[in-house]
Amino acid sequence: MIRKFILKRLAIGALQMLGLTLAVFFLVRMLPADPVSRLVGLNASPEAYAQAQRSLGLDKPVVTQLLEYLGLGSGPGLLQGNLGTSWLTNASVVSEIGASLPTTLELLTYSFVVTLLIAIPVGVASASNPGKFVDKAVFVYGLFGGSQPEFWWGLLFVLIFFAQLNVAPAPLGMIDPLLIPPPRVTGFYTLDAVIAGDFRALIDIFHHLMLPILTMVFVLSGPVIKMARQSMIRAQASDFILYANAAGLRQSQVTRYSMRAAIAPTITLVGILYGVMLGGAVLVESVYSLGGIGQYAVRSVLAFDYPSIQGIVLVITAISLLIYLALDILYAVIDPRVVYS
Amino acid sequence: MSDITSASSAIGNLQPKARLAISPLLTFAVVFALGALILAAFSEYIVPYDPVDSSFIPNMPPPALGDIPSLLWGTLTGTAAEPIHWFGTDSSGFDVFSRVLCAPRIDLSIALASNFLAMLIGIPFGLVAGYFRNPLTELMMRVSDVLQSFPVFISAMILVALGGQSIANVIVALSLLYAPIYVRLTRSEVMAQKSKGMVEASRALGQSELMIAMKHVLPNSMGPSLVQSSVTIGFAILLTAGLSFVGAGVRPPNPEWGLMISTGANDIVLGQWWTSVFPGIAISLTVFAFAVIGDALEQRYNR
Repeated sequence: MIRKFILKRLAIGALQMLGLTLAVFFLVRMLPADPVSRLVGLNASPEAYAQAQRSLGLDKPVVTQLLEYLGLGSGPGLLQGNLGTSWLTNASVVSEIGASLPTTLELLTYSFVVTLLIAIPVGVASASNPGKFVDKAVFVYGLFGGSQPEFWWGLLFVLIFFAQLNVAPAPLGMIDPLLIPPPRVTGFYTLDAVIAGDFRALIDIFHHLMLPILTMVFVLSGPVIKMARQSMIRAQASDFILYANAAGLRQSQVTRYSMRAAIAPTITLVGILYGVMLGGAVLVESVYSLGGIGQYAVRSVLAFDYPSIQGIVLVITAISLLIYLALDILYAVIDPRVVYS
Repeated sequence: MSDITSASSAIGNLQPKARLAISPLLTFAVVFALGALILAAFSEYIVPYDPVDSSFIPNMPPPALGDIPSLLWGTLTGTAAEPIHWFGTDSSGFDVFSRVLCAPRIDLSIALASNFLAMLIGIPFGLVAGYFRNPLTELMMRVSDVLQSFPVFISAMILVALGGQSIANVIVALSLLYAPIYVRLTRSEVMAQKSKGMVEASRALGQSELMIAMKHVLPNSMGPSLVQSSVTIGFAILLTAGLSFVGAGVRPPNPEWGLMISTGANDIVLGQWWTSVFPGIAISLTVFAFAVIGDALEQRYNR
């Protein structure tokens, strides 16, 4: 049953990815941008322009370009796991994404863990005291946190904690430029520091991640707390909790049951937000110059670097689709009432 | 819910009994949103300086808190020599106060126009896809799925930066990104309305399917979209500001909140806070106001 479900979802996902690949490929070529003159400058001679156009492959018919990108023409392409070469840096897009994606994943994972650790207890406390001060405060914060310009809060935190109080480092990356970063193994700074046994670097990395995580948690916990509160209220009103109460189970046990039912939708929201934030962490990354995939996207888009743009959109979407699938599977594990069909 | 009550809920705002529960928070939100709308329309008659005039001494801090009462008195009685730079000036010599108050012209116009366009595209598509279920409309939904799986911020950057960084392009980009939301909302509501008695009754009276869809199903299916629009307007303001912040949106010297925060970002490390703090407060409160209104509408609609 579950295997069939997974296979079906993977098949749909593959079709969706194909649609997306075509959509992005034609979208960037349909928009009135001229990547050649962005590369050689507006004052380039016609010869230089034509030569640049040839070297980017933009002189070929669009269908040929598409077939080559997919890997059905000459040379390796998407089907062989090759996302092409960046026009800006001449490095392979796969390696550039490999260098920037772990930073974003690191930021997001720590941020969401902290968010959940705060949101679930607060949401449960709010649901258990309806109409009380905690509940009202949580309600207002839920609306407020979810509607904030995170980049501005990031700057505000820099102003307070770096410029005024001087307890945070300058917003200039993942690690102090005077420290030697741990040798790259996984690409995840914190993991690499642990593998290298370099705890001075590890502490410094967390010191640098402190404000970015604070910024993310500040905006993310709004909707997550709201969801935890709503799910908890809904669970408490459901029949099986009524039955558990009627059967005279201890209050602590009833709370545990309802929490279990309330956690599933909360985790789902977190998963969806994780997918959204893969591309949405751009602003926080920019404020703190972390060098994640979002900043790579900004650089590529402003340079009209088509192969990089296509690669970034595909990778981010593929990861979010996989997260959604994992969520649906996890959902049934957490909430046994869910059945696949 | 019977057909009569659901039909009346669509026009519920007109009925005195069905008014929104007015809380202080909602009052603040409505007043603030109206204030922003008034500024969007009339800011040039209100602000002391031209928002794109950069002839002032750069980096002037705002007046000290203690001086504000006397300066305010001077301004109100007209005895002040020249208007005060209430929020200071930025590194290019613009008056921050005038720019913050003029920004709704751009930010709100983009948000309202893109949201309206998104509804204009999304609702008819949702109506057709929900009312007429056939392979063609199924294909439409799959296309909408693909569009919705795009990462929003990155897609907005692509559309605006590659399409040309103008206000009109930001509007078009955001409307394309938000249209699938309205397709989905309208479609599911249409599917629910379709099975109701009024549709069968109209059919028995011999009305054409298109007529039923337009006259009876559509008006009853717009509620969720209207509720959603308040939330979407808020998000559009955030997205517009975010795009300018990374340099992929509206261009300087346009008075736009995100752009102002971006200009001020470099000053913040030096402790020069006023160039980015004031426009940030403006975005923060405006989007919060739209979120509060959206939440109130949602509670009203779902009751």
